[in-house]
Amino acid sequence: MKGLILGLVCVAGAAAVPMLGNPYYTGVIFQLAMWIALAQSWSMLSATTGYLSLGHAVFYGIGAYVCVLLTGSVPFAVTLIAGALAAGIFAAAIGLPVLRVRGPYFVILTYGLSELVRHVVMRIESALGSFGRMIFIVPPIEVLMWCMLGLATLACLGAWAIRHSTFGAGLSAIREDEVAAETVGVPVTRLKLLAFVASAIIPGAVGGLALLRTSYFEPGQAFDPVISFTIVTMALVGGTETVRGPILGAVALTLLSELLWSNLPQLYMVVLGSTLIGFILFVPRGVSGLVDQIAGRR
Amino acid sequence: MDTLLSGQLLFAALVSGSLYALVALGLNLVYGTLRLLNIAHGDLVMIGAYTAFGAFSLFHLPPVISVFLAAAVCAGLGWAVYEGLFRRLLANPTLAKRVEANSLILFYGISVILQNVVAMTFTASSRGYQYLDTVITWGGVSMTGNRLLTLIVASAVCFGTLLFLRHTLFGWSLRAVIERREAAQVVGVNLNRVQLITICAGFAAAGVAGTLVSMTEQITPFMGFPFTIVAFVVIIVGGLGNIGAGVLAGFCLGLVETYGIALTSPGYRSILIYGLFVAVLLIRPEGVFSKAVRS
Repeated sequence: MKGLILGLVCVAGAAAVPMLGNPYYTGVIFQLAMWIALAQSWSMLSATTGYLSLGHAVFYGIGAYVCVLLTGSVPFAVTLIAGALAAGIFAAAIGLPVLRVRGPYFVILTYGLSELVRHVVMRIESALGSFGRMIFIVPPIEVLMWCMLGLATLACLGAWAIRHSTFGAGLSAIREDEVAAETVGVPVTRLKLLAFVASAIIPGAVGGLALLRTSYFEPGQAFDPVISFTIVTMALVGGTETVRGPILGAVALTLLSELLWSNLPQLYMVVLGSTLIGFILFVPRGVSGLVDQIAGRR
Repeated sequence: MDTLLSGQLLFAALVSGSLYALVALGLNLVYGTLRLLNIAHGDLVMIGAYTAFGAFSLFHLPPVISVFLAAAVCAGLGWAVYEGLFRRLLANPTLAKRVEANSLILFYGISVILQNVVAMTFTASSRGYQYLDTVITWGGVSMTGNRLLTLIVASAVCFGTLLFLRHTLFGWSLRAVIERREAAQVVGVNLNRVQLITICAGFAAAGVAGTLVSMTEQITPFMGFPFTIVAFVVIIVGGLGNIGAGVLAGFCLGLVETYGIALTSPGYRSILIYGLFVAVLLIRPEGVFSKAVRS
């Protein structure tokens, strides 16, 4: 309950940021909300079931692609919903064969799938003679930021709801021992598929919004595997055991990138890599676990 | 049709096939013995390439000498990674429980660090040098000396390794670790020593491959990732941890890729590679060439 109130206060505070009149801060909040939404969506599948997806950029990219194709013919809210639906449908379509594959194979399969879709879209675009699409009329940045904030909130509430339901309990059972879970009657295939689709929908809408923010679509960027890696990094740095973990990880790394990226991009990447190694080895439960530890000692 | 039957195309396919086999060999050795998914493997190819480039441009060392330097540098990295990171990871039971996920993330961190440290040292622009680039015509097939050297060295290292695994005591213990880890320890294989030597050897193979690549292609700090992917495709096709099948799969991928591009267009190269990768994982995750299903 305390967490919920704190979260709502943060959301309200963030929503008021455009009143400061500095578009830079609005942009930072947009980025923060975007990574929270992505990391939290990822955790719906990967943190709960242990099926580590390294291909979430595919859902983001599909959302962006659908959005750019529809922009101009329908209102922008519809393009976002269509992006989210397209990502969800794609997840549902590939889910059954993909989720049969386990462990390290699943990790590299999701990565390979995402890259395959990226190259197919690049091929389609170049066959159509298009080398990047521009969008000329986009909603103002405040509106985009509020939408993104809404998506981040939705993702956090969704992740919380999943973890506190029988659905979430079933997913944890899959993570602990899938064969045993199946034996005692957990419908593992259906649960995994549902979690996969749930974790794909919000990234689809996020991709659409991020596209409207940059107003430029290029398949190589929209499906960039760095997006997938960043999501995983954030979730693991934050800690995957709790709902607040991905939030903390996304905030920490987004702020780090804001500080370093514009001036020293290569140094930022080195710091990112070192942070990641340090967290895996010394803080396996993430920032969230660290907070608990410190709070527990007092 | 004539181009498809030409020796020229076959030579090109064999050159890239041998290189793929060599890159994948290192990855497969490391996966087989340590069960670690090294997504920084292509970056070791990059480190090998930059070592050869640096040795050539600073000290005028030809690649035939600097290849040993590149192998040593990468082996040193392997030692550092194993002693510094993975001993710790494998010793801690909570971390070892999720070793695959954790090793993936660790190697991602290593990959990012290697790329950007090289980019800060050498700048991100592409580099290259000329070595043995005169054209030799032999039996109607024209080839540059450096490509021929690539084919010879890469094949020699691959088949040498296979012979080593088959005919030496250390090779037997390595294969024992790959096949039955616990049983190997029971019969007295020093697991720690095998793992350390294997990671050094696997990384060194990537360094050798990098030296070969630097002779024929422009190099950049971010060139590694495509090699990682190709290596993963190869070892997935061959079966994870199945060393001999991996070498065979490397040559097959070179053939499929070269002839596939000749039949369609270079724009389909990535789709072909990733399509094959996804198809194999979905249909036969234990590998196309592997006989037994591993649990």
